[in-house]
Amino acid sequence: MAEASPAHGAPAAVPELSEVTRRDVVGRLLKLGAVSLAAALASGASLAPLLHVTAAQGQAKPQRRYGMVIDTRRCVGCDACVAACKAENKTPPGVSYTVVLEQGLGERPDDRPLFMTKPCFHCEHPPCVPVCPVGATFKRSQDGIVVVDYDRCIGCRYCIVACPYQARYSDFAENYPAVAEHTPWASVPSPEYRQFRVRQEGRSPEGNVRKCTFCLHLQDENGEYDKAAGRWPACAKTCTGKAIHFGDLNDPNSEVSQLLKERQAIRLKEELGTEPNVYYLL
Amino acid sequence: MSQPDAKNITRRRLFKLGGGAAAGAAAAAAVSGAGTRSGERELGINVAGLRQWGRDAGQWVPSCCNMCGGQCGIMVHVVDGIVEKIEPNNWNPNNYTNISADWFDGYTDEHGCKEGAVICPKGNAGIMALYDPDRVQVPLKRINPDKSVGADPGWQEISWDQALDEISAKLKELRDAGEAHKLIWFSEDHSFTHPQMDFCTLYGTPNYSNHANLCDVSRKASFRTVLGDERPLADFIQSRYIMLFGWNPTSAIKWVHLPRVITRAVERGARLVVVDPYLSDTAAKAQEWVPIRPGTDGAFALALAHVIIRDGLHDRDFVARWTVGFDRFAEYVKDKTPEWAEPITSIPAAATERLARELATTKPALVDVWSGPGQHSNGVQGGRAIALLNALIGTIDAPGGMIIPSKASTKHNAPQPDDTAAQTLKQPRFDERSKYPLSHSSGVYAQSFVNLAEGKGPYQPKVGVIVFQNPMMSVPGSQTVAKALARLEMLVVIDTMLSETAMLADYVLPGTVYLERYDLNSHWVTWPVLGLRQPVIKPLFGQPAEYETVAAIGRRIGLKDKSGKEFFRVGALSGQPVEDLTAWYEEYLSAELKGGSPGLTLEEFKQLPGAVWVDKKGTRYRKFAETVAPEKLASAYYDGDPSEEGTVVYDRDPAAGGKAIGVVVEGAVRAGFNTPSRRVEFYARSLEGKTDADGKPVDPLPVYTPRDWQPNEQYPLYLINWKEASHTHTRTFNNPWLLELKPENPLIIHPDTARRFGLQDGDEVVIESPYGSARGKVKLSRRMHPEVVGLQHGFGHWAGGRNAVGRGTADAVLRPTRADPLSGQGLHKETCVTLRKA
Repeated sequence: MAEASPAHGAPAAVPELSEVTRRDVVGRLLKLGAVSLAAALASGASLAPLLHVTAAQGQAKPQRRYGMVIDTRRCVGCDACVAACKAENKTPPGVSYTVVLEQGLGERPDDRPLFMTKPCFHCEHPPCVPVCPVGATFKRSQDGIVVVDYDRCIGCRYCIVACPYQARYSDFAENYPAVAEHTPWASVPSPEYRQFRVRQEGRSPEGNVRKCTFCLHLQDENGEYDKAAGRWPACAKTCTGKAIHFGDLNDPNSEVSQLLKERQAIRLKEELGTEPNVYYLL
Repeated sequence: MSQPDAKNITRRRLFKLGGGAAAGAAAAAAVSGAGTRSGERELGINVAGLRQWGRDAGQWVPSCCNMCGGQCGIMVHVVDGIVEKIEPNNWNPNNYTNISADWFDGYTDEHGCKEGAVICPKGNAGIMALYDPDRVQVPLKRINPDKSVGADPGWQEISWDQALDEISAKLKELRDAGEAHKLIWFSEDHSFTHPQMDFCTLYGTPNYSNHANLCDVSRKASFRTVLGDERPLADFIQSRYIMLFGWNPTSAIKWVHLPRVITRAVERGARLVVVDPYLSDTAAKAQEWVPIRPGTDGAFALALAHVIIRDGLHDRDFVARWTVGFDRFAEYVKDKTPEWAEPITSIPAAATERLARELATTKPALVDVWSGPGQHSNGVQGGRAIALLNALIGTIDAPGGMIIPSKASTKHNAPQPDDTAAQTLKQPRFDERSKYPLSHSSGVYAQSFVNLAEGKGPYQPKVGVIVFQNPMMSVPGSQTVAKALARLEMLVVIDTMLSETAMLADYVLPGTVYLERYDLNSHWVTWPVLGLRQPVIKPLFGQPAEYETVAAIGRRIGLKDKSGKEFFRVGALSGQPVEDLTAWYEEYLSAELKGGSPGLTLEEFKQLPGAVWVDKKGTRYRKFAETVAPEKLASAYYDGDPSEEGTVVYDRDPAAGGKAIGVVVEGAVRAGFNTPSRRVEFYARSLEGKTDADGKPVDPLPVYTPRDWQPNEQYPLYLINWKEASHTHTRTFNNPWLLELKPENPLIIHPDTARRFGLQDGDEVVIESPYGSARGKVKLSRRMHPEVVGLQHGFGHWAGGRNAVGRGTADAVLRPTRADPLSGQGLHKETCVTLRKA
């Protein structure tokens, strides 16, 4: 977010992202005739005055709390969710926003596994957030999704240590051969955070900490997903057993809320008080 | 207060793009929420990126996957000629269910199926196959005459023209010498098979073979003999009791609807029982895992039948009306008690008693079997015994049972050979398929390679063409295959990768990934469904698709059909010369569609939702009981008393070529089953007097005989293998996404067994059989039967791409090159080994 950076001192790590935006906006404002404001913006001034106007005209939206209810009886351990996440977010080697665990089922004589897909839990009290020394990771008020600001993240990995669920990954700047060897795929950007960053040496998110975003880039302008239109977290969309239910836990009529009402659900490491927003049906 | 500036900027930008009032409201709401927690701020978005690459940009092209042979539907997001993402095709039933009632429940043309379709990890990872930098990009010619494994071929890059000219010249020379039959051809079984078969016909070789005999032709033989259909499909979702023998459908997947319908059945109260030496990932979803000694499944099935018949639990109505040979079968299983089976199978007799009762009294129930038992030397008879359990419980072609699918047809307009081709087509097949009494049209790979390696068989082939196949790793006995291929004067391999087989070729031609080509897929659901695969991008290296390569060679040789028409140049619909190879093939496909179930041209077909044709009539049950229309009976021939139950009815005298159309049951002529008796056969009279490929008599009853190779002191452990969702055959092992899911295939061994061999978890071992040895890594698990070791198939590459090489253990090197003597099935399971610490 370079255009806002000068006032706050954060490094302008990905200028090309914001430059596009800034130019667009300036152009728009010029057309609107707000010449002086546009000129001020072009020189790097804050947009705050404009914001207040917009905010005053809008209505506050009810807060959402997105979460998942994962039915372990339906999870067959196929890893389609892991591959779909990779395809959606274009994550590099070693970065996998969801993984499938194979848990042994206690003292059974046959080592029968229980499969569980494990994305980020987007906790109500995420231990990863307060440890960040630069405020790069935070929980969004509007929908509870825990995000990372790649332009702020300094890659210190405190958050990786703090997360009790191993849901965060360090981007060690490795690349799959299709990227490293410059096939046409190398020009495909990751849609994460709608920032559409093309993988480039030395540029974020290389060196950053990365994590599941519930594919928030697929939300519409109202912060809503649309399952029928395919704007739905990639893991849930492809799940071969239909084990991953997704939705707004604050909406009592959502599928996830209904499932929690009807079925026994657990959360992992409940005793830590993190209040995960991902539940498992057993 | 953190900086919400960029957020507002971008929201306004979107507003301008057409987001409307909603965008403004969202911006306002987000702003009012901003800053309520430490560090929170809006992240800037890249509007230009969104416009270029977002879901609304580019095209979503419907097609079919080919990461495995399952052919599920996909939607491919293409931006500026680049495949950005592959997603499920919500209009393709193969991605959702195999039963039409489940499919149409909530289906709309706008959104497709109710809950949304799915694709497996391989389907998601297709992009990495397409953009694999190790793909073969230009034709390669071998310089080094040394064709031993590991020798550097000394590849020389040559032009397409040179490659096609040289290959065609050699083929023409062979044909002109009257030796066209000395061409042997091996292909994948789901892709562009028709033009390859046409080529072989017009060229004049009877030696076209494809992959199926490495897969499930023993299952096909079992079910065909029992109920007259090669591939009945389990109606899982409506079943209440599901017993699976040696099949791993929720993980091996094949058709991606399987995990959904199986877990849903269990959720709705079905009991799932998995009989397998290994607690497979499917067994992990079952209420009960029944560990069994490999290759003894037939004995267990007979013991189940014994209990069911002994206790009178069988469906007497179904057995009386719709089966033949029950009395002989009942007599045969009289002494096949659970106590008899226990020392054979290692399954306690009490468990067999209980399972038999559960199976026969929970309705509807089904019993299915796949390649576990099938890839043993006694697989066909064992499979028959298993298939027949469905007859005892009376659920064949009934809801919740084993359904005989109605397939969507395409019209293969197979050409007639000219006189030259007809001469050599009279030659026997090189794989001696006729020796195998229950063989399949896909041929007998194992016999081909043994004959070639050892100089046996009716003649010696001189040229081989291998398309999209890697027999070096997929045929049991890699050593035999290597020896065989080295004896050919010319070997041409068409593939996307430099596989172990390609490394032995004289010419390697770049193939296409499925995203670059066409195909029609008759889907494996219970009612007629046909899906289109279409090129979503142009072939990356400008290479022709496989069917075009075949046609181009056909043109160069100048192949003509019986009427003198240049088949590979003349359009199938227009009858006019079509020079462009793609356009020629599009006409070819159009003719297949036009003459098949859909009755549409290719262009019309592309307009269907999801490019899938779905028969609205849906799944039909108990088709065997349907009465034959009176007009069909007007000139019918009755093979016996028309009023007698069981009389088979033909459309005309079978001596004059009449075909069976029904059977008299309950006083009417009904369709029956596609067996000689038109009923389900406990006793197959058609096998009386037959001998198998080893010259042994074939029993018309589904008898249990132990598999040929038993463990002994020197090789005391059974070795089995299996498939998992992460990989297909031997061809996904250079795919980095899939390797990340499953980077190696440890040898699974029971802790007690490991102790006997002095092995600990993670130890490197040498696995030895009389045929070869391989290194592996030990993983201890009580999921494995204590007498057995096993691993996922497909690893252990020494070619096929830089990622693939050196990972895990190849198992084909441990086996002899053998086929089941009844069906010609490659025997991938029948191996015994010993272990020592490396």
